[in-house]
Amino acid sequence: MNLKDLLSPFYVWQRAFEKPYTSIRPIQERPGAAAYRGFHINISEECIGCGTCHKICQNDAIDMVRVETYEGRSGDSGLRPRFDYGRCCWCALCVDMCPAGSLRMSNEYTWITSDPTEFHFTAGVEHTTWQDNPLGYHRAEGYHLYPPKRIEMEMLPPEVSVQSFDEVVAGYSEPQALLEADRCIECGICVATCPAHMDVPDYIRSIRDRDYEKGLQLMYRTNPFPATCGRICTRRCESVCPVGIQGEAIAIRWLKRFIVDQIQPQDYARILADQTGNSGHRVAIIGAGPGGLSAAYYLRKQGHAVTVFEAQASAGGMLRYGVPSYRLPDADLDKDINYIVSLGVDIRYNTRIGKDIRFEQLLQDFDALFLSTGLSVPSSMRIHGEEHPRVLSGLQVLADVASGRDPGVGQKVAVIGGGNVAMDAARVSRRLGAEVTILYRRRIADMPADTEEIHESQEEGCHIVTQAIPVEIIAASSPQQVSIKWGEAEMVQDPKGGRPRPVLQEDRMHVETYDCIISAIGQGSDLEFLSKEIQDQLAIEWGKFAPGEYQHTSLQKVFVGGDVANRTADAISAIEDGHHAARGIDRFLNPDARTHTDQEVN
Amino acid sequence: MNSVDEILDYAIDQEQQAADFYADLAGRAEKAGMKEILLDFAAEEQSHKQRLLAVKAGDHKLTPEQQVLDLKISDYLVEVGASANISYQDALIVAMKRERAAFQLYSDMAAKVPEGHLKEVLQGLAKEEAKHKLFFESEYDDRVLRDN
Ligand SMILES: Cc1cc2nc3c(=O)[nH]c(=O)nc-3n(C[C@H](O)[C@H](O)[C@H](O)COP(=O)(O)OP(=O)(O)OC[C@H]3O[C@@H](n4cnc5c(N)ncnc54)[C@H](O)[C@@H]3O)c2cc1C
Ligand code: SF4
Ligand code: SF4
Repeated sequence: MNLKDLLSPFYVWQRAFEKPYTSIRPIQERPGAAAYRGFHINISEECIGCGTCHKICQNDAIDMVRVETYEGRSGDSGLRPRFDYGRCCWCALCVDMCPAGSLRMSNEYTWITSDPTEFHFTAGVEHTTWQDNPLGYHRAEGYHLYPPKRIEMEMLPPEVSVQSFDEVVAGYSEPQALLEADRCIECGICVATCPAHMDVPDYIRSIRDRDYEKGLQLMYRTNPFPATCGRICTRRCESVCPVGIQGEAIAIRWLKRFIVDQIQPQDYARILADQTGNSGHRVAIIGAGPGGLSAAYYLRKQGHAVTVFEAQASAGGMLRYGVPSYRLPDADLDKDINYIVSLGVDIRYNTRIGKDIRFEQLLQDFDALFLSTGLSVPSSMRIHGEEHPRVLSGLQVLADVASGRDPGVGQKVAVIGGGNVAMDAARVSRRLGAEVTILYRRRIADMPADTEEIHESQEEGCHIVTQAIPVEIIAASSPQQVSIKWGEAEMVQDPKGGRPRPVLQEDRMHVETYDCIISAIGQGSDLEFLSKEIQDQLAIEWGKFAPGEYQHTSLQKVFVGGDVANRTADAISAIEDGHHAARGIDRFLNPDARTHTDQEVN
Repeated sequence: MNSVDEILDYAIDQEQQAADFYADLAGRAEKAGMKEILLDFAAEEQSHKQRLLAVKAGDHKLTPEQQVLDLKISDYLVEVGASANISYQDALIVAMKRERAAFQLYSDMAAKVPEGHLKEVLQGLAKEEAKHKLFFESEYDDRVLRDN
C-alpha cells in the first residue's frame, strides 16, 4: 500500500469546509420541455413486474422490489421497479423497452431534499407529485425496441390441409427461428406460468447460441415430451408473455419444436446422457399417457424399476388416440416415447388393470403406484333420442381414425361442443370428406378450444353455429341419418356474476338432418378398476382424484396425476403431475435420504 | 289446503322430504365422492326449509314480484332414476327436475286461487322454487356443461 492510499481518507476533511455542491433553486419554477426526460412514472396496474427495465438499464439504476398489492396476479411477478436517481442517467432505455408500455417519464427534474437516501423511489407505488403529469418523454407511438410481430409460421393452405392427415404446421427454418428467438426479452414471466416451469428463456437463448443440444438438455429437465409439446401444448406461457401486450407473444411453442426438430432420435442418448441406477425399488404405473410416461422417465432417472400397465396396444394415451396426426404426427410422439422407453421402462400393453390384473395385486407386488388413467368416458347430453345409432362420440371417432378404422361419419356431419375434442372431430370429419357444422351453446369467445384451432377449423370450412342448444335427437326418414332439434340461445348476465349463461329461446327452434351427429361435450373418468373399498380410501371429488402434496393420496403407496387428478386436463399439466409424483415417490421410497433436490431427479 | 299456514306447512314438509331423500340416497351412494355431494344437496334443502320456517314465523317475507332467471336446462333433459349408482350429472338432473316440478305445482295453484294473500304466498313459493331450480341449473351449467 502506498502513502497516498493511506492518507486518502483524510483528504475528505478538506471538503468539510468547502461550499456545498448544491444548485440554487430558481426563484421562478422553470418547467422542463414537454418531452423532457424527467423522473419516472409507472402505471403500476399495467406494469407486470417483468424486470426488463431493470435488465436493460446500463447504470444499475433500477432494482425490482416486492409490492404486496400485486403479488399472486397471474402473469405478474409481484415486483415493481425502484429507481435510484444517484445512478440514473435519464437515457430512457427502460421506457423504450418496457413491453407493457406502463413506464414513461415526466418532465419534472427538481426534487429538493436534505436527505440523500431519498433519491430512491418505487414509481407508481410511492406517492410523487409527478405521477399524473401528462408531459415528459413517452415512447413514440408504434416504436418498439424489439420487433413486436412474431415470425409467421408457414402452414398448409386450408384447401390442401383438408385433403390429408399430413401435419399442417411446417415448423420454423433456422433463420426464422433465430429471428423469433431474438425477440425474447428473457424476462422469465413465462417460467412461473408454465405448469412444468420449463426454463423457457434459457432454451430460447440456446437457439440464439445455435446450441440445440443444450436446448434439448434444458427441456428434458422438466419435460420429457418436448416434440409433442412443441406442437400441441396449450402454451399458457404465451398467454402471459409481456411481448404480447403491445405486440405478439414470443412463439414459445414453435421455438421448442424447432429445437427438437434439429436433433435426430439416435443422438438423444449421447446428448441427454441420462444415468439410470438401480435403487432396488419397483414402481407400477397405470396408464401410458403423458402423465404416466413422464413419471416413468423421472423415476428411471432416480434408479427405480418401472413397469407401466397400459390397456391399449400403443403408448401415448389421448395424445395417440385423441389428438389427430395433422396436429401431432405419430413419428414425433414416438420420438418422445421411444426415448423414455429406452431408459428401461417396461410397458405391458393390452393390460387393463381391474380386468386383466387386479389393482390389489399391484398394491401387493410393487413398492409404489402412480395412476394416470385419464378421462375416457364421453359425457352424455342426456337429451331425448341420444341413443340413436347415428349419434357418435367424438372420442370414438378420433380413436377410430387414429387406429386406421373408418368411423363412417358420412357426408353431412354436426358436431356438438366447443372444446379440443369437438374441433378435432370436426376437422377429422372434413378430412373424411364431410360437410361439417359445429353447434355450440355459447359464443366463440367462450369456447374452451385453443383459439388457433377454432380459427383453423373455420379456415378448413367447418361452419360454427354459436348459441345453439341441442334439445332433442329425432329419427330421420332413413336409418342412415338422424335429425337434431336445437334452439337459439340468448346470453344472459348471471345475477350472481360469473360468465354469461345461455338461455334457450323456445320460440326459435330448428330441426336439421345429418348423416351423423358427433357428441363432443366433455369426458369423465373411469374408476371402475378400483374396488369400492379402495375408492372410499381415496379422496375423489367430482369424479377426479384430489391428491395432496407430491400427488400423494391417503393410500400409502398410491400417487395420482394427469387428467384424472387435475382441473386443467392438458398434456403439460399431466407431464408436470408425473414429474411431481416422481419426486414424491422418491421421497416416499427413500425417506432417510438427506436431500431430495430437483437436481437429483433431473 | 286453503289457508296460508296450511300451504306453508305443506311447503316446509316438502323441503324436509327432499332433504330426507338426498340424505337417504347419500347413505346408499356407491360412486366415489357422491356421498358428500348428496349430503350437500340435503343441506341445501334444509336451508330452504329454514327459510320457509322464517316466513311462517313472520321473520321473512316472500317476494312474489321478483324476477328469477330461468335457464330452461332441465326442461329438455331426460328423466333419470335415483339409483345408488347415481352420477353427479344425474343427481343434478334429479334435483333440477324436482325443483321444476315444485315450481310448476305452486304456479298452477296460484293460477287457480283468486287475488289475495293466498295467491301471493303461492306465487312467492313458486319464485322460491324457481330460485332453487336456478341454483341447480347454474351448478349444471358450471360443472357438467363446463367445456360446452
Ligand atoms: C381430441 C383431444 C385433443 C386434445 N388436444 C390437446 C391439445 O391440443 N393440447 C393439450 O395439451 N392437450 C390436449 N388434449 C388433452 C391431452 O391429451 C390430455 O390432457 C393428456 O393426454 C392427459 O394425459 P394423462 O396421462 O392424464 O391421460 P391419458 O392421455 O388419457 O392416458 C391415460 C392412459 O391410461 C390408460 N388406462 C386407463 N385406464 C386404464 C386401466 N384400468 N388399466 C390400464 N391402462 C389404463 C389409457 O388407455 C390411456 O392410455 C386433447 C385431448 C383429446 C381427447
Ligand atoms: S419493463 Fe415495464 S412492465 Fe416490466 S417491470 Fe419495468 S416497468 Fe414494469
Ligand atoms: S418468452 Fe416471453 S415471457 Fe418468456 S422470457 Fe421471453 S419474453 Fe419473457
